[in-house]
Amino acid sequence: MLRNIKVSHSPHIRKHHSTQSVMLDVIIGLLPAVAASIVFFRARAEIVLASCIVSCVVFEWLCNVFRKKPNSLGDLSAVVTGIILAFSLPATMPWWACIIGSGFAILIGKMVFGGLGCNIFNPAMAGRCFLTACFGAMMTTWTVPATVNRDMPIMGQVKSERVPDAITSATPLALSKEAIKSKLTGKGVNAEAANGIVKYMLIGERGGCLGETSAIAIIIGGIYMLLRGTISYVIPAAVLISVFLCASIGWVADPQYYITPWAHLASGGLLLGAFFIATDPVTAPLTKKGMWIFGAGVGAMTMLIRMVGEYPEGVMFAVLLMNAVSPMIDRFTKLTPTGGKVNA
Amino acid sequence: MTFAGGVHPPDYKELTENCQIRTVGAPKQLAIMLSQHIGAICRPSVNKKDKVSAGQVIGQADAFVSAPIHSPISGTVKDICLCSHPVLGRAEAIIIEPDEGNVSKQICAAQFDSNFNPDKFTAEKIFNAVRDGGIVGMGGAGFPTNVKLKANPNSPIHTVIINGCECEPFITCDYRMMLEWTNQILAGTLLAAKALDARNIYIGIEDNKPQAIEAFEKAIAKMAAANDIKVVAVETKYPQGGERQLIKSILDIDVPAGGIPPMVGVLVQNVATAAAIAEAVVLGNPLTYRVVTVSGSGIKNPGNFYVPIGMAVGELIELAGGLTDEAAKIAKVILGGPMMGFAIADLSIPITKTSGAITVLTEKEIGSIRIKSKETACIRCGRCIEVCPMNLNSTKIAHAVKHNLLDIAEEHKMSACVECGCCSYVCPADIEVAGYIKTGKILAARQKKLMPK
Repeated sequence: MLRNIKVSHSPHIRKHHSTQSVMLDVIIGLLPAVAASIVFFRARAEIVLASCIVSCVVFEWLCNVFRKKPNSLGDLSAVVTGIILAFSLPATMPWWACIIGSGFAILIGKMVFGGLGCNIFNPAMAGRCFLTACFGAMMTTWTVPATVNRDMPIMGQVKSERVPDAITSATPLALSKEAIKSKLTGKGVNAEAANGIVKYMLIGERGGCLGETSAIAIIIGGIYMLLRGTISYVIPAAVLISVFLCASIGWVADPQYYITPWAHLASGGLLLGAFFIATDPVTAPLTKKGMWIFGAGVGAMTMLIRMVGEYPEGVMFAVLLMNAVSPMIDRFTKLTPTGGKVNA
Repeated sequence: MTFAGGVHPPDYKELTENCQIRTVGAPKQLAIMLSQHIGAICRPSVNKKDKVSAGQVIGQADAFVSAPIHSPISGTVKDICLCSHPVLGRAEAIIIEPDEGNVSKQICAAQFDSNFNPDKFTAEKIFNAVRDGGIVGMGGAGFPTNVKLKANPNSPIHTVIINGCECEPFITCDYRMMLEWTNQILAGTLLAAKALDARNIYIGIEDNKPQAIEAFEKAIAKMAAANDIKVVAVETKYPQGGERQLIKSILDIDVPAGGIPPMVGVLVQNVATAAAIAEAVVLGNPLTYRVVTVSGSGIKNPGNFYVPIGMAVGELIELAGGLTDEAAKIAKVILGGPMMGFAIADLSIPITKTSGAITVLTEKEIGSIRIKSKETACIRCGRCIEVCPMNLNSTKIAHAVKHNLLDIAEEHKMSACVECGCCSYVCPADIEVAGYIKTGKILAARQKKLMPK
């Protein structure tokens, strides 16, 4: 009567989703920003994106082959890592540097720990950190977007004509840093220059990394992920609130040298970090309370670097630092079962 | 007001919700388990080849936390032997062969009308009738009801809650009972409240069963003695029918973790148990029959059946038209609902006092990917923690058990788990989170020598 009877633990029905579908939702959430980056940086964006994604996937595949492990490409996490890494690089990054970054991200950032779910640091941020250490100058050369530089080549046109294919400019945060530093030297460079760019930041007509320029594209993707339940609102909210508070302190104290909290929120990799990088579930704490602490830590650390430290931007270091303490946060935010202590 | 966490699985109730409770003909053979409840296992009080009559005690309960077992039919004891048991593996059972011309027991809901008055019965009489009737919690746990109905002066019960949530997908036996046996359930409710001298009585029903809510409201309006009973529509959410969750939803009280509802002065009874109490106290019938839902896409004619306890799962499936061709290919036969039920491999396993359903799932409900049931790495997404009604760190406990670190599992309050399975249900990596936790609880009990190996 019954030829094939299955026995297992309950529950016997499951929600219809998988790690793959969760990752796919993240990729869909990233698409508006992918589109924005291609609009703003044209062929350069395509080169960086393609080389990062392809090399991340290939490195993961090679790793599985050499370790004689089952193929793990199906979970799509390598694609997510590739996109986020590309997003955190400037458009002028050469393809070979992208491959080096991807290699570090996948091999050292993820696979040596045992693959997806076991890594301590966000792989994309680990890769970017490595590139910052190796190619500091390349990593801080920002081009203006194609909407400003009409001559920027489109795909297939790179170096075919003798026009400068990139015009560099300072990012809003670099201007902000200059203002803050000038406070010490007494030169009196004012933060107005940076504040003035805020309106361009929303759409994305400003210099910066691929994925950071367009605040609106990131927010659309973030809202999509929130609606789909891919990420919880906690980490983005915690990051944004803590950045806003920290930035307000500086701005209220000295508006001449410190840019407005709005400028801080819209600039640099902050929104990308809040919605896509800090929310990486593997490297963030498990509990709601832990997530609030983690997000607040990322925000505060970012602002510490932006306002006090040497670098103009601090999202990457803030995320990596908080990744390192997230097991400790988990330890300090143990849950109490409903109804208090267990007496049994 | 509702409890934190929980999930919304598809309910599949449309398969059987309009199927009236049907009585069935005499069974071929009954295997009555001596362990159908929480507490001491019964001692057989009959011998091989003895003649037994319907309602006769065949398993004696010696301990306080136990319940006697009765024969549902008249017949001959064929054997007392080990038999497959869904939880214990193998356990002792009394096999009864029915006499020729046995007539199956009829539903007695018609004998309860709105003139019912609980004041005719004293608390002692109710307690004795429930104890002698072998009544246990019929919602699934099988805790002897007489123990719950024994008034304890140190922790008086002020509130009785009747659990009509039936949050498990597929199962509709309680729902049909609420529609068809409304007065009998109200009578049982009043008797339970009378035994404990409880002042407040609530009936909690999920808001996806408006007809049941209406049926109770009408019956309460007619029954003078029941006028104080409040029917509460609670949110449709699994596991709303868990007693802790229901108490939280109705009274906004948290039962201490590891504790039981009497600690907060509350008694929770399933509607089927309430009906059984009424029958035992008023008519003197022991618990020998129960309503079972047979459902799932693997069943040809799903329905609700009033069957003798001890009937084999296979025989019951035959009564429901047998299995579909789909089920012949690949199937999961579950004693209970799909969220908390036990998958069985042996269709000779008998129905017990606690089995409210037989669900046969096919590839359609299990999902083709899940059939391979291959778990992938935990991505620490925290969905299991978000849905846990007990607010436990499910993934941490599960992984501690997986790596045999029971002390870490205990540190994260493994024993507070109610085994609802929400964590496994939502896990995108297909990890048997609840399975690991259940395993961990058993391992810990063995370590403490609370359970035999």
